[in-house]
Amino acid sequence: MRRGSAVVKRFSFVLNGKPVEVEVPPAYTLLETLRNVLHLTGTKDGCGDGDCGACTVLLDGRAVHSCLTLMAQVEGRSVTTVEGLLRDSSPDEVQSAYAESGAVQCGYCTPGLIMATKALLMSNPNPSVEEVKEALRGNLCRCTGYAKILEAVLRVRR
Amino acid sequence: MLLYDIDVITPSSLDEALEILSSRKGRIKVVAGGTDLIIQMKDGIIPRRDLLNIYGLDELRYIKLDDNDMIRIGALTSFSEIASSETIRHYAKILADAASTIGSIQIMNKASIGGNIVNASPAADSLPPLYALGAVVRVASSRGSREVPIESFYRGYKKLDLAEDELVCEVRLRAMSDDEDGIFLKHGLRLGDAIAVVNAAIWVRRDSRSGLFSDARVALGAVAPTVVRARRCEQLIISKKLDEDSMWNAAKAVLESISPIDDVRGSAEYRREMSVNLVYMGLWELTHRSG
Amino acid sequence: MVQAQRWVGKPIPRRDALEKAIGQAKYASDLFPEGLLWGKVLRSKYPHARIKRIDVSKARSHPGVVAIFTHEDIPNNRYGPFNKDRPVLCDDKTRYIGDPIAVVAAETPEAAEEALGMIEVEYEPLPAVLDPLEAMKPESPKVHERGNIARQTHISFGNVEQAFREADIIVENTYTVGTQIHAYLETEAGISYFDENGRLTIVAGGQSPYRDRHEICSTLNIPEDSVRVVIPHVGGAFGGKDDISVQIHLALITLKTRRPARLVWTREESTIAGTKRHAGIIRMKTAARRDGVLLANKTEIIYDTGAYEGLGPAVLDVAIENCNGPYKIPNIDISATLVYTNNYVASAFRGFGAPQVLFAIESQLDAIAEQLNMDPIELRLRNALRRGDVGVFNNKLIGSVGIAKALEIAANHELWRERERYKSETARPWIRRGIGVASAVKGYTLGALPDKGQVGVELTREGKFRVRVSSTEIGQGVLTALAQVAADMLKCGVDDIQLVFADTLETPDTSVTSASRQLFLAGNALADAARKMLDKMRHVAAGLSGEPPEVFDFLDGYAISRDGKTRISYAGIARYMENNNIPLNVVGEYEVPRVEPIPGTLEIPHLFYMFAAALALVEVNTLTGFVQVRKLVVIPDAGKVINPQTFQGQIEGAAVQGIGYALMEEAKIENGILKTQNFSTYLIPSIKDAPEIEVIPVEDGEETGPFGAKGIGEIGIIPIAPAIANAIKDAVGVRPLSIPITPEKLYWLIRSKRSENGSQ
Ligand SMILES: Cc1cc2nc3c(=O)[nH]c(=O)nc-3n(C[C@H](O)[C@H](O)[C@H](O)COP(=O)(O)OP(=O)(O)OC[C@H]3O[C@@H](n4cnc5c(N)ncnc54)[C@H](O)[C@@H]3O)c2cc1C
Ligand code: FES
Ligand code: FES
Repeated sequence: MRRGSAVVKRFSFVLNGKPVEVEVPPAYTLLETLRNVLHLTGTKDGCGDGDCGACTVLLDGRAVHSCLTLMAQVEGRSVTTVEGLLRDSSPDEVQSAYAESGAVQCGYCTPGLIMATKALLMSNPNPSVEEVKEALRGNLCRCTGYAKILEAVLRVRR
Repeated sequence: MLLYDIDVITPSSLDEALEILSSRKGRIKVVAGGTDLIIQMKDGIIPRRDLLNIYGLDELRYIKLDDNDMIRIGALTSFSEIASSETIRHYAKILADAASTIGSIQIMNKASIGGNIVNASPAADSLPPLYALGAVVRVASSRGSREVPIESFYRGYKKLDLAEDELVCEVRLRAMSDDEDGIFLKHGLRLGDAIAVVNAAIWVRRDSRSGLFSDARVALGAVAPTVVRARRCEQLIISKKLDEDSMWNAAKAVLESISPIDDVRGSAEYRREMSVNLVYMGLWELTHRSG
Repeated sequence: MVQAQRWVGKPIPRRDALEKAIGQAKYASDLFPEGLLWGKVLRSKYPHARIKRIDVSKARSHPGVVAIFTHEDIPNNRYGPFNKDRPVLCDDKTRYIGDPIAVVAAETPEAAEEALGMIEVEYEPLPAVLDPLEAMKPESPKVHERGNIARQTHISFGNVEQAFREADIIVENTYTVGTQIHAYLETEAGISYFDENGRLTIVAGGQSPYRDRHEICSTLNIPEDSVRVVIPHVGGAFGGKDDISVQIHLALITLKTRRPARLVWTREESTIAGTKRHAGIIRMKTAARRDGVLLANKTEIIYDTGAYEGLGPAVLDVAIENCNGPYKIPNIDISATLVYTNNYVASAFRGFGAPQVLFAIESQLDAIAEQLNMDPIELRLRNALRRGDVGVFNNKLIGSVGIAKALEIAANHELWRERERYKSETARPWIRRGIGVASAVKGYTLGALPDKGQVGVELTREGKFRVRVSSTEIGQGVLTALAQVAADMLKCGVDDIQLVFADTLETPDTSVTSASRQLFLAGNALADAARKMLDKMRHVAAGLSGEPPEVFDFLDGYAISRDGKTRISYAGIARYMENNNIPLNVVGEYEVPRVEPIPGTLEIPHLFYMFAAALALVEVNTLTGFVQVRKLVVIPDAGKVINPQTFQGQIEGAAVQGIGYALMEEAKIENGILKTQNFSTYLIPSIKDAPEIEVIPVEDGEETGPFGAKGIGEIGIIPIAPAIANAIKDAVGVRPLSIPITPEKLYWLIRSKRSENGSQ
């Protein structure tokens, strides 16, 4: 196994609407950068393997796993995290719907689910129950049994 | 193992990418969506190498239907794009169906068809449809480009007809016409995101007068080192009247083409049975459709 | 006590929900103290090996590495809630793959990880014992010096053998149940630092701050008042964070290096080193009379506790207590054994030993109903316990018993009444539908173990209340429910209740957050505190107004005299108390009533039980063995629902965990190696696997509970696996005796029946 010294590069991207620059190893994942470097911890780390969806962010408006996105792939793009949904510090309607419907228990899955929901509603404002389930099938929640999550999403569809 | 000591080089064009691949032959690894590669490198399954990040090469992201009724899909095209493309849904529906089962939406948004092809997992969901539709892969290097039929692209478990300086650029398929039909089947261990225990794709052409299948291709995944065609099974459904018995007989003939192994998702014996049963279910569906 | 309820019973959204939804709530894994060291744990590669040598010199000199610790750094290297059998860091031996050997503290995560690879451990592999039946044989390799039988007991009431001779039918089966992994989304995580007063502070995901503190202090040999344990928001626990995980390792790093530290397990580490639900073998022989009356049940329970006991002895008790289901059975005989093996450590998991045995007894009941050609619900009702009955241990059931009512609701449910219609609606010839029923029972509280908790209540100068509990918010919503209870008891708005939780410095010991009784215990202690507080306030109101104290009542933040003429705000009372140096805080206490344990047990019987019935509609693909649950109806006996939203959420969440347990969660262990270490191989249900779930509470009221509430956290999972198994039997005619009922297992079962019948 190779044990070189760290490679560090500078990356510029738009984070929650604001241009940012970070100096990190280019093969750091976006998740590592958000949490361990920028300490922006709304985005959660549930597995690091693309299996749980807790790390979901929007990359140029599409839901992706930040744990499977290299910093080099973020260069020049726009990233939205759960913190970026707040408008003048008031919650997005998806965030409110999750909170009010009882879709949040331990809440560790919640930011990822909210981002996946947001992406769904941006491309399909009036999804069917089946479409909601497809869109959220990669977001694991161990607490709620998903019933209230479904309810929350259906509450905000047009 | 963390990837902090891995350099990542991001070319701005396909030509530049091919240049770098040829000058650093074997010492650099392509990363497209990264959904296979990042995990494999972190887990030490593949050697640690610097990365050539082609994720931003939008010139490899397209779905086109050309004048010769050929569908051309750029290697970086994501499975979300494939699953939602009108062209694919209409002219290569089984590929769209397969695409929509790949991982989760987050995976589909990032995972590329080129990555699925080159990663060469025997369980890769796009491959049985590509086999069944007779796809052709176009690869390029700074030396030029060439085309390889999908079946000869694979020479064994993760052994490809792909040189170290070559990049997969495109997959090409013939658009299906109205007398053709097909089905994609995937048996996973849960309804959500799951890797296939066995997957299969069946393509048929219906003879308009007899209603029988005048041609057919059956491909199965996760049951051999590469995806396989079940040729004996194909013979048993071409120009035959299919009733319960003959469908079961044809389905059982897939056993001649497969050589599954035990793994964490299922035993070889179970995979054998699933291959037969999946193909039976597929034939049942196809024969019960009006056509 | 008749109490007006303004907040209890309302579906109030959890108070922490929005904070979590906007990404602001801080979990242990979200904390990065200034100047922190990154911790990493080196774990055993062998299921069973003698450690001959540990050489950390190379790793210690690796750039960025600050310290490496081994067993030599631990003054008292054994801990555990019942039996101190578990090392903080292995010394003589490793006993499972994942056993911790060394802890690294480094300046960067990279350095910490690299250092792990540089620690040299010389092992002498020992023969591993991985099968509990093998482990029970005297000649087997010993996991611990004391032998592999961690606990064994035999309990008998009546005379089963005679009953078997007199019975009309006897059903006998051996059931096997697999390991289940908690799979909470947040792995075990924490940080540590010295606070401004020089107190060693551990902020980590857990369930019981006082117990964690005790384990830290006893192993590291430091005084308890020099350590503070805080449990912030926890990303799921379900019993899995009841045991120590990162806490002692973190304390060790900070204690020795004087620097803050962070230790977060990876997902793989969590599945390996986190505790699990006990795998086991349950043999059951059940006898009944032709009319359906149960006569006898003989049970043999073997639970694999893995390398260490954890809470295993208590888990075994719960299995013993509930293996006869919620039924009157005059003759019972139970032998139960907790076995050490070199497998992964099993301890607490929602249901705590009950889901396994209920799967067995509820399958037995179904088989009896089938043989007697009797409706399965009718059979259960015929034998169901009712309030005032004497239970199988000769124990009088003084608490509420809602099982008969739950079963009646099930019997009248459309899904049951019209089950033939539901079953006929299938789309393909190879799809079969079935409907199954099951009951569940489990004691809540710690049974015959002493269990006492305290709650602090403080009146703030604004006239609001600060309630202090050491209960943890592990996602179950206990804090919101407590706020509702407090608001009704203290006669104020729910927003006037501020909760301080899970902090050994700031909150009194409200006992451990487990056994579904946190609301019950804390609620009752709160009632005591509220009584004391209102009494105090009444006297102040009297002093202020010159009227006698007894004329004062409380409403909406005011003390109001009976004639309504005098109204004094809580803020006014608070000001007066402050000005006159009357302490503004009280402590309430509650000790859970209990009885003496019956011989051979630790904590049996309980005085209080929770119950449930469930119906499941499943669809089986006979060509793949895949089962899809289409609908669940869960009917829990809730006592009283404090918050319908959190209540439903608890039941729905437990039900889907039950689906995972029943059908897909298979911890595959080969030669001591867990093959399913991540979420792509250890599958838990996704939103597509979750069916429609109807929750119908039975609200019979438990007078001893706050506002009549019972514990509800665990009961939802217990009836699910047997209801699904019984539905599968109904669908395809084969009875699964082993869970999880994975597609492959069920396929072979169906297949063997098909070849017996000689058909395709
Ligand atoms: C959670 C999860 C679920 C998944 N579920 C499924 C599933 O259900 N079905 C399925 O089939 N797959 C699944 N996958 C696997 C994966 O997503 C796919 O194989 C995906 O198509 C890979 O594409 P990528 O762009 O991410 O490739 P990368 O990971 O970037 O690359 C994969 C490999 O291909 C090489 N490569 C990529 N593009 C090219 C190119 N153009 N030319 C030459 N070499 C190239 C890389 O060097 C690498 O070796 C899953 C993965 C994850 C993490
Ligand atoms: S952390 Fe990215 S999918 Fe789990
Ligand atoms: S709320 Fe806990 S994982 Fe979803």
